Amino acid sequence: MPPRPELYPANRAFALLAAAFALLFAFVVVVLAVDQERAREASERLQQQTVPKIIRFQRLARNLDQLRHEGELVFSSDTPEGRQQSLYLVMLVASHPSILEHPQAAAAAREMEAFLAETGRLATQDPAMLRVQQGEWQQLSRRLNLLVDDILVEGANLATADLGEVADAMRLTRYKLMGATILLGGFLLLLIILLRQHLLRPLRRIDRALSSLSVDRPAPEFPDARLAEIHAVEEATKRLHDALVSNDAARRELQLLANRDDLTGLMNRRHFMESATTELRRAQRYGRPTAVALGDLDFFKSLNDTYGHGAGDAVLRTFAELLTESLRQSDLVCRYGGEEFAFLFPESTVGQAHILVERFRERWAAQEIRLPDGLLVRATLSIGVADTSHCSIDVALQRADFALYEAKRLGRNRVVVAAEAG
Amino acid sequence: MPAFRSLFLIAAMLSGALHAADLRVAVLVQDEAQVSPQGALVPSSTPRADLVAYTDELAREICRRIRSRCAVSYVTFGEILPGVEDGRFDLGFGNFLRVPKREKRVAFSEPIFRSASRLVGSPATARAFARKLGQAVRLDNLRGARVAAMEGSQQQAFLDAIAAERELTVVAAATTAGAFGALRNGSADFALLPIRTGYALISHDKPRRFGFVGPATADHGLGDTVHIILPKQKEKLRHALNQAIAEIRADGTGHRIMRRHFPVNLD
Repeated sequence: MPPRPELYPANRAFALLAAAFALLFAFVVVVLAVDQERAREASERLQQQTVPKIIRFQRLARNLDQLRHEGELVFSSDTPEGRQQSLYLVMLVASHPSILEHPQAAAAAREMEAFLAETGRLATQDPAMLRVQQGEWQQLSRRLNLLVDDILVEGANLATADLGEVADAMRLTRYKLMGATILLGGFLLLLIILLRQHLLRPLRRIDRALSSLSVDRPAPEFPDARLAEIHAVEEATKRLHDALVSNDAARRELQLLANRDDLTGLMNRRHFMESATTELRRAQRYGRPTAVALGDLDFFKSLNDTYGHGAGDAVLRTFAELLTESLRQSDLVCRYGGEEFAFLFPESTVGQAHILVERFRERWAAQEIRLPDGLLVRATLSIGVADTSHCSIDVALQRADFALYEAKRLGRNRVVVAAEAG
Repeated sequence: MPAFRSLFLIAAMLSGALHAADLRVAVLVQDEAQVSPQGALVPSSTPRADLVAYTDELAREICRRIRSRCAVSYVTFGEILPGVEDGRFDLGFGNFLRVPKREKRVAFSEPIFRSASRLVGSPATARAFARKLGQAVRLDNLRGARVAAMEGSQQQAFLDAIAAERELTVVAAATTAGAFGALRNGSADFALLPIRTGYALISHDKPRRFGFVGPATADHGLGDTVHIILPKQKEKLRHALNQAIAEIRADGTGHRIMRRHFPVNLD
């Protein structure tokens, strides 16, 4: 016999599963929360730091462009007054904190301011110097334009980097969410399979076993259950079947004791009457022949008086044993009272019954009976037979009794058939 | 008729309840001469470089945005912060740099623009000092000079802090115009001024004797964001003020006001 697998209490098993699910769920929540926090931080950084920085870059670019524009005006102004005014504006723009805090822009602004101040000074002395300075101004202007472009690109790159990080975080979150969904789905599937395997199917088996539990069927068999409670219910179901079988056996024993005559082991009169009534009802319903008989041991009282009650009992027991051997299984016979016996012969006409009882009477008459003191005696039997195909059992027995009386009157040890008209 | 009068009174009371409280606003003037004896602002002769007109219009626009009736007082720089601190003014438009020392006394709005400081002086004086110093004049190498600054300003605080070490003489003036006046009358060699103020003053000065000297600086508390100040306890007002600043920045009103009074718009 293979070793029995270990049993797990259901509450512990389900608590374990619930704990595993809770842990898994918590793990998923933590993982997603971490990712969400990362995305939130990246988004917040974008909003709080990068976007203001980009705006600063844009403003710086605009201020540098303004600087270049005012520088152009120094060259395009017709009057020293106009040039000076533009130069003041160049100085104002070059002094702005947005330019000062950007080293490249600050250096370019200082260089441009110095160049334009020198140009203004030279132009005041000789306006033709403006044309001389124009070439170098173009180079400075181009360099400033390139710096403006670089600053704008730098700002755009900042946004691209931060947005890329946010997108990466969101993508990672999406993948993890999908993974978590699959993981949780798998866990739920496993849970369903385990429930089906270890709870629902065993319960269905138990239900089927209980529904068909009967003394006529063998004890239910269950495959090994892993849950202790299921195993306990299965064992209880088996014990219930054993109890049913045991109760049925006891019931049969009691029924036997209630229907039998203690001394002879034959049916008692009450049981005979019930059985005979049922059989007669069946036979009459189908129009089948039935006959009854009443038999009485001849001179039984004298035998009792002569040899004692023990001898009488021995005669009765021997008579019953011979009856059991001689009659058909379908025939009913009982100890009707004292030394009187009643018979019912299903599927038999009066004639057939007559032959049967006559044959038995002859066997009984030839039977030697050993009494308790060892003495061998013989006894005879008088029998009255009556048809019962068209009357009740009581009427038929009454007729058989009349025939028995007639047999006694005619000298005993004989069979008399009751007349139809009784 | 009495019923009609009661209804009118109730309606008047309700309409009054809908009005926000009146605000007392202090607006910085560069020069006491810009204020008439009646306390009104005297229109500037140079419309394209007028800081006071800019500040005045900005103050009125913000009052309109926060749905308040403002009583504007035109005062010098030194009066604004104490006035706001002791509750005489609800808002102070003085182009205040935000520094810890001031934060202990008043509350600050969100920035309205950015500023730096720069020396202003005549080219001749600059050349003379360059010869003496052996290099071009800058704020960080200036020694032995008389430098004018507005009283209570960060510029004055900075100069006071380095005066002994650099052998500087600080010439304090109630207004920026006063500091610039010290240059003009020869009682100062240089003036350390906020760049916009410096620009407004040198561009107004018709003989064009002065200009910026050396590079500008925003270090040592001499530059960064410029704010409106208000009493510390008025958190609701500060919230409304910040909202108004955000609105005029977002819808371009702030830039338009700036461009009306300055030839360039710097952020």
